[in-house]
Amino acid sequence: MKYLLLLGLIGLVLSPAKAEEKKDPPKATTYDVPYRLTDTKHIHVRVKINGKGPFNFIIDTGAPALIMTEAIAKKVGGKTEDGWTTFDKLDIEGGLSIDKPRGVAVDMFQLKGMNSMGLAGVELHGVLGYNVLARFKIEYDFNETKLKWTPVDFKAPDPMRIKDKNGGQGGLEMIGTLTQVMSMLGGLKPNFTVHPRGFIGAELESKSNELIVKTVLAGSPADKAGLKVGDRIESAKGKSLSSSQDLLEAVKKLPEGTSLKLSIKRGEDTKDMTVELGKGL
Amino acid sequence: MKKLLATLLLLPLGVCFVRADEKSLEKPKTQTVKFELVPSGHFIVSVKLNGNGPYNLIFDTGAPTTLITPRIAKDAKLAGDAKDKPLIPLFGMMGQVKVKEFSVGDVLAKDVGAMIMEHPTVKAFSQEYEKKYGSIDGIVGFPFFAQFKMTVDYSTKEMTFTPNGYKASDVMQDLMQTMMSSMGSKPQPRVAAPAGLWGMELAKSKDDEADGVDVKAVIAGMSSDAGGLKTGDRILTIDGRWTDSIADAYTATSYAKPGKPVAVVVKRDGKEVKLTITPKLGL
Repeated sequence: MKYLLLLGLIGLVLSPAKAEEKKDPPKATTYDVPYRLTDTKHIHVRVKINGKGPFNFIIDTGAPALIMTEAIAKKVGGKTEDGWTTFDKLDIEGGLSIDKPRGVAVDMFQLKGMNSMGLAGVELHGVLGYNVLARFKIEYDFNETKLKWTPVDFKAPDPMRIKDKNGGQGGLEMIGTLTQVMSMLGGLKPNFTVHPRGFIGAELESKSNELIVKTVLAGSPADKAGLKVGDRIESAKGKSLSSSQDLLEAVKKLPEGTSLKLSIKRGEDTKDMTVELGKGL
Repeated sequence: MKKLLATLLLLPLGVCFVRADEKSLEKPKTQTVKFELVPSGHFIVSVKLNGNGPYNLIFDTGAPTTLITPRIAKDAKLAGDAKDKPLIPLFGMMGQVKVKEFSVGDVLAKDVGAMIMEHPTVKAFSQEYEKKYGSIDGIVGFPFFAQFKMTVDYSTKEMTFTPNGYKASDVMQDLMQTMMSSMGSKPQPRVAAPAGLWGMELAKSKDDEADGVDVKAVIAGMSSDAGGLKTGDRILTIDGRWTDSIADAYTATSYAKPGKPVAVVVKRDGKEVKLTITPKLGL
């Protein structure tokens, strides 16, 4: 069973439609393209199509073309002809822009399956395949937070269609439907919402293994809770801290409106306080 | 079965990106691999498994796992080591193996996890290209290329690989672990946490679909103020990342380390202005 799930994660697509393509000569600049690895280990970049979005796409050398869901293609006003959908503009986060890109509007079973269960941790709308990727030299390094895309002078021949006698993907399509049905049975909806972390309003300083409050912003949650300049923060949520990183880690998952218990040292005194996290950063 | 389904349904949730900064002691060297671009727009590389082969595999950045066909698993004497065999061997699945020495061209990666199976799409490829390139026997995915700084260039049909010390965690293990730990709980929203203190408040109304977010307040004397940000500015990007929602803006600041200047592009009086803001240590 779990193998079936895993299979549904492989973004390998046989063929798009047929047709020819002409492109502008590329410029020789390098673009830093932000990416994230999804929970499913896909390389996720954000794009806007015809100025709309951002949409979440996967970088997929196993796909022959730019592929997006039918709903997205419709939403952005793509024009479909001979199996290809043409758009005015594709923007890739990081400042890169492609004029008149062509793609294929089809609901990939892999994305359908992942989205129905929220497996990737983010809702996926499509993939960037060969007809986009081939125009760039792309550098990947998962120790970095951005990819490097450099346009290359390469006229990518159009991807050819492979005729699959059985049609489709040899029975793999059912995985998408299967996962969809499973999540419906369970009555669970994936949660793709992202909340901003709560605000405290304190500037900190790390000095010889101590975490010292350097500034308290007037009227901030820290101020209201009674935190003072010079206080040494010893623990948060009952866990002792040895660095600012520990504190950031402890607060990392607390959205606005939640509260945080802190234990501080002021002179020789130890004080406990509760900070009600507010809005801001 | 019901239990299994229920467990599977609890899969969503959690961040499992593992990032290891360990550097190997040897000086990393860059190696080049030529690839064969096939007419369907995919590309094929030459792979050896524990010195056996070479075999033709598709190179797929969209594959979280590596696949090898039962044919080459047997040929490379790996089939006997397969673990975690499925009860119902759909698509000829024979379970998982760790390939001690997995080479793409001359580039060697150690202990690469691979699934043994007959992937219908790979089979279709193989039938299409067998005459010209020989049989195609699998997919090279994330467990291999994550171990390198990699470049892919279609114009020269070359890839380069430099070991980068990144330790890729196993996607299957991660998914199962996430699932176990989230048993019985509802999927929670993620929280985007800024890495530093900016001294500003952002706002965006529900019906506002234009690019960017509004600056609602700038705290005097703090980083944003020092960098020239003003109340009423519309932030378009932070460090090259789109900030079209408050969640996006927070996500962008989660990468901006305290003390490091970042470029912030704002719209002010109809014009784009580029600012530099250095967030402070704090929260």
